Amino acid sequence: MSTDIPSMLSPRPSVQWFTPGRIGIYVFLISAALFFLLPLYVMGVTSIKPMVEIREGNIFQFPLAMTFEPWAQAWSSACTGLQCNGISVGFINSVQILLPSLVLSIFLGSINGYALAFWKVRWGHWAFSVLMLGAFIPYQVMMYPLVRMFAWADIFQSITNIVLVHTIFGMPIMTLLFKNYYGGLPPELFKAARIDGGGFWRIYFQLMVPMSLPIFVVATIMQTTGIWNDFILGLIFAGREHYPMTVQLNNIINSTQGEKIYNVNMAATLLTSLVPLAVYFVSGRWFVRGIAAGAVKG
Amino acid sequence: MKLPTRRPAWSAHAALIPMGTTVLVAYIAGILWTVRISFTSSKMLPKSDWVGLKQYEVLFASDRWATDMVNVALFGVTFITGAMVLGFLLAVFIDQKVRFEGVFRTLYLFSYSLSFVATGVIWQWMFNPTLGIQQSLRSWGWENARFDWITSQDMAIYCVVIAVLWHSAGLVMAILLAGLRGVDEEIAKAAQIEGIPRWRYYLSIVLPQMGASLGTCLVLLAVAVIKVFDAVVAMTNGGPGDATDVPTKFIMDNLFERQNIGLASAASTTMLITVLIIIAPLMYARSRSEKNA
Amino acid sequence: MNTFSKPLLTALLVGVGLCSDAFAQKAEVIHWWTSGGESAAIKQFADAYNKAGGQWVDNAIAGGDNARAAALNRIAGGNPPTAAQFNTSKQYHELIEAGLLSDLDNVAAKGNWDQWMPTPIKNVIKVKGRYYAVPVNIHSFAWFWYSKAVLNKAGVAEPKTEAEFWTALDKIKASGQVAFAQSGTMGYERGTFSAVLLHMGGRDLYNSIYEKRDVNAIKSPAFKTVLEKFKKLHAYTDAGMPTRTWNDTTALLVTDRAGFQIVGDWAKGEFINANKVAGKDFGCFQGWGPKAPYMVSGDVFVLPKSSNKDVIKAQELLASVVTSPAAQVAFNNKKGAIPIRPDVEASSMDICAQAGVAALKDPARQTPDPSMLVPPDVFGAVGDVITKFWNTDMKPEDAQNRLVAALVSK
Repeated sequence: MSTDIPSMLSPRPSVQWFTPGRIGIYVFLISAALFFLLPLYVMGVTSIKPMVEIREGNIFQFPLAMTFEPWAQAWSSACTGLQCNGISVGFINSVQILLPSLVLSIFLGSINGYALAFWKVRWGHWAFSVLMLGAFIPYQVMMYPLVRMFAWADIFQSITNIVLVHTIFGMPIMTLLFKNYYGGLPPELFKAARIDGGGFWRIYFQLMVPMSLPIFVVATIMQTTGIWNDFILGLIFAGREHYPMTVQLNNIINSTQGEKIYNVNMAATLLTSLVPLAVYFVSGRWFVRGIAAGAVKG
Repeated sequence: MKLPTRRPAWSAHAALIPMGTTVLVAYIAGILWTVRISFTSSKMLPKSDWVGLKQYEVLFASDRWATDMVNVALFGVTFITGAMVLGFLLAVFIDQKVRFEGVFRTLYLFSYSLSFVATGVIWQWMFNPTLGIQQSLRSWGWENARFDWITSQDMAIYCVVIAVLWHSAGLVMAILLAGLRGVDEEIAKAAQIEGIPRWRYYLSIVLPQMGASLGTCLVLLAVAVIKVFDAVVAMTNGGPGDATDVPTKFIMDNLFERQNIGLASAASTTMLITVLIIIAPLMYARSRSEKNA
Repeated sequence: MNTFSKPLLTALLVGVGLCSDAFAQKAEVIHWWTSGGESAAIKQFADAYNKAGGQWVDNAIAGGDNARAAALNRIAGGNPPTAAQFNTSKQYHELIEAGLLSDLDNVAAKGNWDQWMPTPIKNVIKVKGRYYAVPVNIHSFAWFWYSKAVLNKAGVAEPKTEAEFWTALDKIKASGQVAFAQSGTMGYERGTFSAVLLHMGGRDLYNSIYEKRDVNAIKSPAFKTVLEKFKKLHAYTDAGMPTRTWNDTTALLVTDRAGFQIVGDWAKGEFINANKVAGKDFGCFQGWGPKAPYMVSGDVFVLPKSSNKDVIKAQELLASVVTSPAAQVAFNNKKGAIPIRPDVEASSMDICAQAGVAALKDPARQTPDPSMLVPPDVFGAVGDVITKFWNTDMKPEDAQNRLVAALVSK
């Protein structure tokens, strides 16, 4: 399709614009973008409409009387019970819960995946199978025994508790992610490192970690989203003083018997999603081609 | 592909202790507890009596449970196929050295940053015939436009598929893109020189090399299918009737609102056994091929 | 306030707070009243409790299931709250049986609950002769609401009999408007069904179905007629009904886009928030005639058992404060519900609430909500049948058989 001869001197083959192929690519990407954007547009537009327009009007309609009040309210003055301080209340808690859980769950997942992919630990594969089975169990089913166990260990309802819970529930997927990734790497790499005299930890830190940056990025994206958006685990295991932002969000959105203030609800939802979104945006730098490929050649 | 070491690697064993502990104390204990409760008459609080298979009898006699299993199967097949295809296409097209790659990538991932609850609510509005797309099409002149799938017993489940697809396709794209980028660029150049068309190159050369990331995506999507709950509740609450009811909702309803943890545990155990039956042969085949490699 | 006095004031308040901490009865209350209106209501209780020397610690969690799950797990984890909200129903009876709740006989005796507590409520809070829960309000599901504008446009007045109701529906439909607004969630489909059973089937049939769970009653022709009437309402609904929430449905009445809705008195908040006035913009009635049955439900606080003397004192103070006349009126006015005590001043309430209070004065009209008669899993099973019957072309006989399976022999 492309007729230019790749130059060995330039870092990447040059691209001809405006061939039917290129146009087709952009048509597809833009159509997909519209599919993904449409509901977001509705959320955004609803979050800046006054309630009167929401009740009477069309969901796609651009607001006639635009207002950013709902955003201000969602952040700092929406009622989440007796307190009317919006979702800002739980922000620090969410961060306090997110950071240690991220580090622990991803670190353990990568160690597990690395050990399972390259080292002979027979019981490890049985444990992994149980872990994969466990991934299919909804959290709430396992809640009662976990509550009793943590109460017995005297850490029920604390930051430690919720961090451990996130690690427990994140372990299956994180282990799978890294195990598959390391398993997909050329085995010569590891062989060579062993011949060079590397031990378990040295190979991990000096060879595997630098080579698996893309998958660390994917893991961060998944865990940040999952932990930041989690509600039920935070509600049960974090304790009232450490409720994450999602508890206030739930109080704003899911009030059973009041009028649904849709604009504040949407604003609150969008505000909450800003943190994972920031992570996605920043993570873009590491989606660079050639990190793994480069390591093969080097 | 696994390199067998001649002597036991104690560091490896030690490093896996957290995983072993978690499996034992959380997962095995949790599974055993659930199975035990499924043999009791527990309602709101756990009881330690024994009623044999009574909960399972109630479960399998339940018309709702039968519908749930059908629904989750339909949902699963459609959703997994759709997400893999869409995710793969997005990853491939984005990989074509497009301008604004970062913008497109973040755009497709944005929906993943939202909770399932938000996803369910927004798509409920979009699909509602008097509020959403149908209404808008009609008000813009298309008098007889019909898009009321969500009110139909047969089609409502596909509305849920679309909503969850919208939510998660971005993640599939991200994982496949990472896998795609692990494929040696030299091969692409060689293929170009040989004159192999791009689509052929992707299908016959790249795809087979992406086994790891494809496998990861499949498992993630399967887990999402079995656990799908928040999106269903926020979007249709299992309705209309039980057209979009799913096993996890059956379990949750009985675990909390209906105060029947005996029945919920029987349902959970049944789901677990079903999953085991489906993935056990696959995992066995996988570990065989790993041993032989 | 200048920067100097603020720290000083804070220190002073902290000091006072620390001091009063030692004397104030701390009460942590888990509940699900999180919306603006509901928070204004619970604030009345919190203020009254604080004024009486207590210290209210609020733990609001939206969603009944979430709040109850949180409360249960706290109890299971050995760290129970001082009080937890449940519905006036059988939801907490297993906690009583397991000995996990404090009994309130002291407070009940002092407050003479035996004398004035409505019977349907007493029956679910008094178990084996002891009181185990504090009722805080009376709600009612089986209210009929209507938009005056829609009815006027169709040339219809408020129906005074069941026959007039059906005629009104026809006339509104003929005038090109949506006659009956229904929410597509199962709980509200079931609620409409129970209201139809009560007001069109009659109190006796209702009791034999939900209270006695009598096979013959379920299979009777009279009940079949009720099912047919329930299904008949479907023809008057609009296309947007499936999956629509109850608030979006009431919004149709508020914006004069639909005629009638059957929903609980918590819908009043939707009208009030849009500045609509009862009697002028919208109307309400519960059944027809002066002897129409009045469905009773509501909320209670349960008090997890504790051996800690301070906790017990806090619980007793809480129970007596929330059942006091002043607190009852203040709370229920904001809540849109009705006080549990009959001896309160009704003139400050809107006409719908006043009608409710009047109806409650007659014990013969007091009818327990279904969730007060059947355990939660039976109630759920009934809902599964009803929602399928409402949404598919299931025959009434088939529904009757399935309801037998759901209701009987459990």
